[in-house]
Formats: sequence, C-alpha cells, structure tokens
Amino acid sequence: MLTPEQKKQFNEIFDHLSKSLNISKERYDQAVASYQFVGDWLARPESALAPYKPEILPQGSFIFGTMIEPVDECDDLDIDLVCRLTGKNDSWTQYHLKKIVGDRLKDHGTFKRMLDKEGRRCWTLLHRDQARFHMDILPAIINEEYFVILEKAMSANRQQDFETAAIRITDKLTHNYSSSTNPDEWLKSNPFGLAAWFKLRASLALQKAMSLNEAIQPVPDNETNKLPLQCVVQILKRHRDILFKGDEQKPISIIITVLSARAYKGETDVLDALISIVNTMENFIEERYDRASGKNVKWISNPVNPEENFADKWPAEPAKQEKFFKWLECVKKDVNQVITQKGLHNIQTAMAKSFGERTVNNVFSKIGENAKAQRDGGVMKMAASTGVLGSSGRAHVGYHNNFGK
Amino acid sequence: MKKRISLIHQAGALRSYFPSSNITRKGERELIWVGELTPTPLSDTYKIKLHFLDGEFIRINVLAPVLRLAPTATGLPHVYSTEKQELCLYYPKDNEWDPSMYYVRTLIPWASEWLYHYEVWLATGGVWHGGGIDHNGNEETKQQVAALLN
Repeated sequence: MLTPEQKKQFNEIFDHLSKSLNISKERYDQAVASYQFVGDWLARPESALAPYKPEILPQGSFIFGTMIEPVDECDDLDIDLVCRLTGKNDSWTQYHLKKIVGDRLKDHGTFKRMLDKEGRRCWTLLHRDQARFHMDILPAIINEEYFVILEKAMSANRQQDFETAAIRITDKLTHNYSSSTNPDEWLKSNPFGLAAWFKLRASLALQKAMSLNEAIQPVPDNETNKLPLQCVVQILKRHRDILFKGDEQKPISIIITVLSARAYKGETDVLDALISIVNTMENFIEERYDRASGKNVKWISNPVNPEENFADKWPAEPAKQEKFFKWLECVKKDVNQVITQKGLHNIQTAMAKSFGERTVNNVFSKIGENAKAQRDGGVMKMAASTGVLGSSGRAHVGYHNNFGK
Repeated sequence: MKKRISLIHQAGALRSYFPSSNITRKGERELIWVGELTPTPLSDTYKIKLHFLDGEFIRINVLAPVLRLAPTATGLPHVYSTEKQELCLYYPKDNEWDPSMYYVRTLIPWASEWLYHYEVWLATGGVWHGGGIDHNGNEETKQQVAALLN
C-alpha cells in the first residue's frame, strides 16, 4: 500500500512522464503552421472551394490533447484534419467534392509534390523534410447547425444530443459515391462530437465543465496543464508503442482513448486515474450479436454514434483482438511493477522497460533539476526521523556547494 | 572564531530528530551517529554513519546497502572513497561547514540530498543533477573553484 506521500510523488513522476511524451513545441508549431497554410490555400478567392468557406480543423488525438512523440524521433507524426466546407455546389457528388479538394491541393507546387496516392476518405500530405509528419485531410460538409447542436449537447451534457450532430464525408466504397448529390445520403461522421464528449469526460476532474469553444479549438493547447485523463491516454499509448513497435495489428489509439474515457471516473490525479482505468476499461467492451456472422462479437461503441464499432476489424482479424487483450494484461502488470518498486533508480528501470529509456531518463532529469532548484531556492526541508526531503519538514536544507570531489 | 557546539548538544539534537538512531559519544572528543535516511517517500532507505573525531575529521559513510554505479561510471560521484562509500558533502576550502553548526541542520540533510541525487544519477544513466564542484572537472568548474577561493 502506498502512503499519501508516496502517491503524491508517483503523481509527480507520471505527470512528468506525460509532459515528456508531448510532442516538442517546435514540431507542434510546424504542424499547426502547415495545416493553417493548407487552410489558407484552399480558401483563397481563386479556389473553387472559396464560396464554401473551407477551413482546416484538427481532429483525433490532436484535438483530444493526447498526441505523443513517436518512440523513434525519426518517425512521422500523424495529424488528422477535417477540411470543413459550409455547404457545396448542388451538382457535386462525393466524387466531385473529393476531386475538387484534391485538385486545389495539386494547384500548389509544394502540396502537389507532397500528395500521397488518394485514400478512401482522405487526402494525405507527406512532409518528407525535417518536419516529419503527415496530414490526413478529410473533406467534409458541415452546416452551421452542427456546431449549434454540439454546443447544446455540451452544455446539457446529453448523450442523445451528441448523436444528432453529424458531418457528411466522402467514402469511395459507398455505392452512391459518384451518383448522390444529396449530402444527407452520404456517410455520417462526428469527429467534433467525439472530441467534445472526450473533453467532457476529461473535465470531470475540474470544478466546472468545459465549453465547446474550449473543447474544440482550431489550435489546441499543446502542453499547458493536461488533465489526468489526457495524461493517462498518453501514457497508455506510449506503453502500446513500446510493446508493439511497428506491429500493424497493435491496438488502435481510438480504442485506447475511448475505453479510457469511459472508464475514467473523474480522479483528480494521474496515478489514481491510471490504476482505475487499466483495471476497469475492459468492462466497457460489449458483446453484441452480429447477424452477418451469426456470432457474438466484441463491440466498442463510438460514444457519439453507438452503431459504430471501433473494434469492427476484430472479427476478420482475430489477432487484433488478441493483441488488445495481451496489451491490457501487460499494462496492468507493468503499472503494478512500477508502483511496487522502492528507490527512484528501480522505479526508473521498471518505467524504462514500459515507456522507453530516453523518455524516462528525461523524467528523472527533470526531477533532479527540480530538487536542486528547490534546495537553491531555500525551500527544501528535511523531515525528522526519516530524512525525507521536500517542501515540509523540520530542518531547512541550507545552501552548500555540494558536493566536493 | 565561532563557538564549537558541544557534542552533548549535537547528540541531543540528533536524538530529538532521529529518536530511533544510535549515538555513541566519548566526552567532547568523539561522536558516532548511526541512523537511517530515506531521501524521498519512494526512495530506498540507507544506513548512514556520521563520525566526528575532534581535531581529526568528520566523516559521513553509507553503511548499507552497497551503492551501485551508473553503467558508464568507474566510481560514485562526489565521494572521498567509492569503496568506503564516504560522501563529500561540502567544499572544504569554502568553510561551508564548521563545528559551530548542528549536524542535523547541515551534514545530515546534505547526506539525504546526496542520496536523492545518487538515485537520480542512477535513474538518468549517470548524470549528476546535484551541482557541486568536481576537482577533476572541466575548465568552467575550475574557474568556479578559483572564484570561490578568491
């Protein structure tokens, strides 16, 4: 059992871990500048999209605030973006919308070179230079009403309100891809509803709930004061990345994120949240009968669209399901391993195995620097009978030029 | 000359701070304190010996456990002896410590702090974050030493 002081110290350690997982400010700023530049280009007066006020907004981990640095610094960051259009030309089908966005990108020499082959729903821009990220751009029709509905859903925190909000996207595999000009017949998606839902869950730790404007920002905050749920998702994603490296069948981020958010009960510190989430996230995986296969399948529903199963790939690729449960067992064991160590160096060893040597060394460097700053600032004290150092205690740790030789 | 604190008072302060520690005193000539320090709530606990012999020395040793070395290190940082685990806690030429100071307010918190940074040293693959003066260090630290001596 951990004492309250030990818990407090573990919280500091996990808090530093989450901070060390944040993508660097430099890379973050580059990413934001890049997608804003794409947005500006699409919206210029000469663009065929200009009348529909195109705007680029981040979605996914970027807007959840759960983005992490890849284990290998040289690996690409994925940034998921929505290209939001308010309305469209009446004659456009999904095919037209997708093509017009693609053509506009191709009008720009640099984007043309960066453009990957066309995806099912997205256009992908690859930054092959030192920036090392790629952007998936999802063309979508979003009417003004969408954000009004979300705003209402958010302030009332009513599940069914989230479910009524939807944007319309293009999907090459739909039967009406090049025939239907009515967006109501196109595939629905609700990325901002999901983001708003996630932020509401995260803000359970706060006294007051978040507003839609705080939840969905065109340029979300990168590092300032992450909430415990956001820290836990970052930590869990990193654990997955270390365990599976480049394995294509590793648990996908959205599954980890949504299950964590469902399991989160508003714990105000990272350690409590982490322990409770890893121990209960499994309970939020449902079993549903699948008519097509006549079998029960695992179901991880999209909170803003219960008919969407984030685990829909599992029946066809059972390895994905196995790897999810393997990961979950492993993360439970590894977290327990970390919190039962004594000695910062032993804690470091246990953490390095699960979260990466370089990142964890950074965590303990920060801790060492903070201890020195505390002593230099004259606020470090030593507790009687144990010798424990900290901000409270009986003896001040005075200045000395420690340490000699 | 500052007045030396009587060993009776040093012993009294040690007993007050660390009631379960062992203190041996021979008049005003010698004092040995053996106690335990846990530098942070999550740290290991270390058995420490402080030994004062009037006119001769004051030594702080880690009695247990045997301390480990960072992978690339050949010795412990900031010690007089790695083998004896004898800590170097202040810069002697700068008069940072003298017998007019209570152990419980100086050497013992400094020892705890050394242990804190020892754990961080191991946890960072051998980077010392505790500051201080390295006699075998680079030009910058030599200049710092020179500045202190002037």
